[in-house]
Amino acid sequence: MLKVGVDKQGLAFIEASCGGGCQSHAPAFKARPNEPAYALLPPSNGVKVNQYGKSIQLVDENDPLAGQSLNINNSPAVSSNPNRYQQHGFHFTADNCIGCHACEAACSEKNALPAHISFRSVGYVEGGTYPDFRRVNISMACNHCDDPVCLKGCPTRAYTKFAEYGAVLQDPDICFGCGYCTWVCPYNAPQLDPIKGEVSKCNMCVDRLEVGLKPACVSACLAGALDFGVVETAPENRVQNKLAIPGFPDPEITHPNIRFQQVRELPREMRRTDSMPLLYVKKEEAGKIRYQPQVAARPRGITAGKTSGREWSFEKLRSREDPLVIFTLISQCVIGSFLTLFLGPVIGLEVLSVNAHPTAHMALLSGLLALETFALVISTAHLGKPHRFYRAFNNLRYSPVSREVAGIAVFYNALGLYTLLSAVPGLFSRPLPHELISGLQVFSGWLAAASGPVALYAMYRIYRIKARPYWDHWQVATSFYGSMLALGPLAVALVYAGVLVHQGQAFSGLLAVLAWPIALGLSMEGLGLIAHARDLERRGGEAAASRMEQRTRFGKTYILRNTGLALAIALVGALGVTHADGAAGFWVWALAALLIVATALIGRALFYVLVIPTTMPGAFFWRNQGFEQHARETGLARMPQVGVLPDAH
Amino acid sequence: MLFGRHTKNPIKIADKDVADWKYTTCGYCSTGCSIEVGLDAEGKAVTARGVADAPVNRGKLCIKGIFEHELFNSANRGKTPLLRERAIDAYREVGWDEALDHTAAEIKRVQEKYGRDSIAIISTGQILTEEFYTLGKLTRGVIGTNNYDGNTTLCMASAVSGYKRSFGSDGPPGCYEDFEHTECLMAFGSNLPEQHPIIYWRLKMALEKRRFPVIVVDPRVTMFAQMADIHLPVTPGTDLVLLNALAHVILKEGLEDRDYIDTHTTGFEEFSALVAHYDPVTAAGICGIDEDTIRHVARLYAKAGAAMSIWTMGINQSTHGSDGVVAINSLNLITGNIGKPGGTSLSITGQCNAMGTREWSSCSGLPGYRALEKEKDRETIANYWGIDPGFFPGRRGPFMTDIFPAMETGQIKALWLIATNPMTSMPNIPRIRKTLQNLEFLVVQDAYADVETTQYAHVYLPAALWGEKEGVFTNTERRVNLVRKVVEPHGDSKPDLWIFNQIAKRFEQGRKIRFPETPAEVFEEMRELSRGRMLDYSGMTHDKIEMQRGIQWPCPENAGSGSPRLYADGVFQHPDAKAKLIPLPFVDNNERPDQQFPFWLNSGRVVEHFHTRTRTGKIGNVNKFSPTPYMEMNPDSAKELGIGHMTYARLISRRGYAVVLVQLTHRVPHNMVFIPFHFHECVNRLTLGLLDPYSRQPAFKQCAVKIEPATDQLAAAAANVAARSY
Repeated sequence: MLKVGVDKQGLAFIEASCGGGCQSHAPAFKARPNEPAYALLPPSNGVKVNQYGKSIQLVDENDPLAGQSLNINNSPAVSSNPNRYQQHGFHFTADNCIGCHACEAACSEKNALPAHISFRSVGYVEGGTYPDFRRVNISMACNHCDDPVCLKGCPTRAYTKFAEYGAVLQDPDICFGCGYCTWVCPYNAPQLDPIKGEVSKCNMCVDRLEVGLKPACVSACLAGALDFGVVETAPENRVQNKLAIPGFPDPEITHPNIRFQQVRELPREMRRTDSMPLLYVKKEEAGKIRYQPQVAARPRGITAGKTSGREWSFEKLRSREDPLVIFTLISQCVIGSFLTLFLGPVIGLEVLSVNAHPTAHMALLSGLLALETFALVISTAHLGKPHRFYRAFNNLRYSPVSREVAGIAVFYNALGLYTLLSAVPGLFSRPLPHELISGLQVFSGWLAAASGPVALYAMYRIYRIKARPYWDHWQVATSFYGSMLALGPLAVALVYAGVLVHQGQAFSGLLAVLAWPIALGLSMEGLGLIAHARDLERRGGEAAASRMEQRTRFGKTYILRNTGLALAIALVGALGVTHADGAAGFWVWALAALLIVATALIGRALFYVLVIPTTMPGAFFWRNQGFEQHARETGLARMPQVGVLPDAH
Repeated sequence: MLFGRHTKNPIKIADKDVADWKYTTCGYCSTGCSIEVGLDAEGKAVTARGVADAPVNRGKLCIKGIFEHELFNSANRGKTPLLRERAIDAYREVGWDEALDHTAAEIKRVQEKYGRDSIAIISTGQILTEEFYTLGKLTRGVIGTNNYDGNTTLCMASAVSGYKRSFGSDGPPGCYEDFEHTECLMAFGSNLPEQHPIIYWRLKMALEKRRFPVIVVDPRVTMFAQMADIHLPVTPGTDLVLLNALAHVILKEGLEDRDYIDTHTTGFEEFSALVAHYDPVTAAGICGIDEDTIRHVARLYAKAGAAMSIWTMGINQSTHGSDGVVAINSLNLITGNIGKPGGTSLSITGQCNAMGTREWSSCSGLPGYRALEKEKDRETIANYWGIDPGFFPGRRGPFMTDIFPAMETGQIKALWLIATNPMTSMPNIPRIRKTLQNLEFLVVQDAYADVETTQYAHVYLPAALWGEKEGVFTNTERRVNLVRKVVEPHGDSKPDLWIFNQIAKRFEQGRKIRFPETPAEVFEEMRELSRGRMLDYSGMTHDKIEMQRGIQWPCPENAGSGSPRLYADGVFQHPDAKAKLIPLPFVDNNERPDQQFPFWLNSGRVVEHFHTRTRTGKIGNVNKFSPTPYMEMNPDSAKELGIGHMTYARLISRRGYAVVLVQLTHRVPHNMVFIPFHFHECVNRLTLGLLDPYSRQPAFKQCAVKIEPATDQLAAAAANVAARSY
């Protein structure tokens, strides 16, 4: 029971007490007997359906999910909060926020967070000219979305959307630190702590909600900006429940449970102070004002290097995702190689069969297995908690990561079995009949041949992230399958060319055939890139910003890669037509191989570093990637109180 | 669950396992928030929260207060006294006895050789009132130097001086509750959202209940300016002209409160004759606010049933800061807005106990707002302490800003610094460094061993921090609030009160005078000395203060509680019991931008830092919001100079240069830059700090600089990193 009253000083207070029915368990959060009125959860206005058409009541009282304890810190207490099964959310009056950091501080203090992560952050956009100038601060944490993409994306099922308050909570004890949720969330809510190797995030202060108190950040607000309650219930004195304000990502991605008031008119252009090359421009459509993200001239900064034109930025190709560059390329190469080796004889390339060159065939198969093992080790080591790798399969129902890992696992095991049975056909011949063994061998081969491309499809789906517009394009598929077609046959071609030369035989026959899938793969990649570039510009916003970075900061590297790709297509096409052989043919093939591998590496590295997510605007220091990079480069980050970890990798 | 796991693990939420909450008062700014520090079962401070029923903050805290409990174990707290013979030697750790014996011996040696005034003592606005009182007793009654001041000269001296000139005494007459009653609020050079966020919250809550016009006078588009109904982007250093013009319009249009002027003020004739020269047309040309706006604001303010003014460093830190305060007071006197609910002239003070030092430290006089210049006051105190009244000088000595030049040229040979950091906070730092190197003996008493002044010190005395000792603070609205001891002092550091008492014991006269051991006993002496005076403490005890979460003086012996306002009866502290209207001609003596140095340099505070960052610079969750110095600069001016966002620029003034990271923003006009003042080796390498003739407070916010891009960005970045040890 919550008792609300007014104390001697005229301040309202709340008293949590146990009337007749409730259990006598102490709640996890110990409220004071005189909590101030502004900290108390307000009643709901009774609206039943939210602006997306979804019921605000999440379960009814008779639902088996109702009446359960949240088990916060093992407390069995069950709150009698009357709105416990209603979707709650934040309400932010952007007109009022003064950027005082009290919300962020209260959150970090309550959750005992180290300086380098935070569940809530305040950034800003600003516009106008002196003195007709406006800065709009935006305080943002988790929005406990109706469609929680973090929950769906998480391979370990560390996320749960609770019937209680509609809170989306994440359990760091389950998380293995892949960081995929940090990719898919448009609001930068999940926080990957590189030191702990796990993600954690805003927990809606459900412990406070259970005793009738608003979250710590809201209770700390000093400007009448941040508030909280049942979603669609505007706080006292507030008239708007807007779905977005300038700088806030498209709410259609996740249907976030945050509402805004922003009544005061803003300048046409709102700029960011952080290093993201974006600004927001007012658009009026059907009487509705929207601020659309557009490309801003790249902010010049010490971290931006030269101030204009195209740059190489080779050193900036390295990123935290380096292991994924290796993992994706090797996996695509291994799958392509296996398909070549396995399907080659089927379509008449007898030279690739086991019988034609048993040693080479087996060596290549074993090599592919070793290569994929290496790739898997690298990608597992890239996890924050590699020893929890087995949890990757937990979310096959929703997570493309789980599906990719499952697909790769099937391929890898089938490849392993096929290799084993091919290498030692007599291994199981004692307990099992020969036919079964050979049947198993054929089956495992076809299974690998089928699961490989399927795994690559799941791998492609991983990157179709709405919050990462640069990736959210079919070009990812042409790139991944293109790499499979180019790198796979290329690896087979190189190995067999060596074998054939060694045996004094001509290699041009085989290689001229393999040149065609290679050329096809490279062409797919090329065509995908052309369409991608065009669509990025057309879509504007973060996509176009990535495109600008591609053409400026990485401009020279980008041209180098494109030239290399075009040259490789020409060379491989020529090799397919001319059947070049001998030393000349060998050297041309070697050159083509070098070009293909180099362009694949550069291209994939660019793929990871060019992405500009739809994150919230940062401030000048905090949540500014440009400053973080600068702090690392200059050694400022070595002081822990700067809040930037010295090593991002 | 709706989605996700079928079997739920218990939800884990950080639990600080608080076993006990201890009441105390925040040790940062002068808002005076009541804090509860949470202690775990081992007695370690693990969390902090605002006291729910505290009349000031009602459960709220700002970012600094929220993390204040982390100070107790923050980096580079002083653990043990340090001593060295010469400033070029290495420090060695010594026991307290050796450090104190040496300090006392050096003070005596210097005084015997060069005279009693050859030692200077410069204190702070940070320590407890009982400590201020004891330091005052030690300095005035035992050591006997008249070179004694506090760093409050850098922040509040102009307010003190202005109050004294207008009302006959220091003491802010209003309170935060006035927001609930006022019909018009005008803020001069005050950026509440950054400087005093809790006071801003009080104002905002009043505005949520009842709208009234808010006018902000500030050359920068601060958050407060943005939230205001009217923003007056005044030309730096010309607020006196604006104030004279407002008075001009009010008098010319007959909007003044004639009864109040006649009954409670003197000097009206001279005042009105002076402001007659400041018609809005003339004023607009100087202060940059157009004539129509001046008239509109003047009418708005004068016609409001109750109107109040607040101000902070934008007024105080200028060449005519004292005049600015007097002019604000006069504006409120002629409109009858003193001592009434919602009508007041409220200086928003800086440090947590700037008021305590003003009241009790004897820096500018003798305890309890007594004056050295008054024979009766000298006798009262001398008798109470048991010394010869002739031991007191007949008038107050130099201010902090005049003491440093005297050290520079050798009139003063020794210095005792208490909880202040002039190597970052004083204007023209190159000169301060040179000055400190001239000293024969420098004692630094501070909670942090890495405070920059220890570079030149001979003795370092590690002091206990807020919350490691007990006593009271007075806040902006005269509310005396209690700091309870929350944890034991860090390492072998000691409360400042203990240090003062130990030094006193090492002087013959100090052994004759009573120096009580406990803060409560010291408080008793203050109660006695305040009885019947304006700042009457006699109705307060430590326990009663805690129970009421702070009491506003005056609080006479039998009063149940304190008094929200001064001068409600219209009786002022001048001998004729009237307030003075003082004519204030404007003299423009600022170093204005010119062809060679074309930018105004403005400085100020950011919310996450306090003063010279010795505390906030150590706490990651506070410091990370501005971990290194930066400058706000107008993008149009930057473009002309080829300076980019997030690059380093070099600023040059007639004093020196500084390298700083640039943030381009239209918060500042084309001919001005703004740099937060918190950072070592930054803005105060450039500032001139011309002194106000009355308050001797430096004009930190007005000087001229030129700016150029740093040609070698990497070298500039390296230089910046090298200048930061925290």
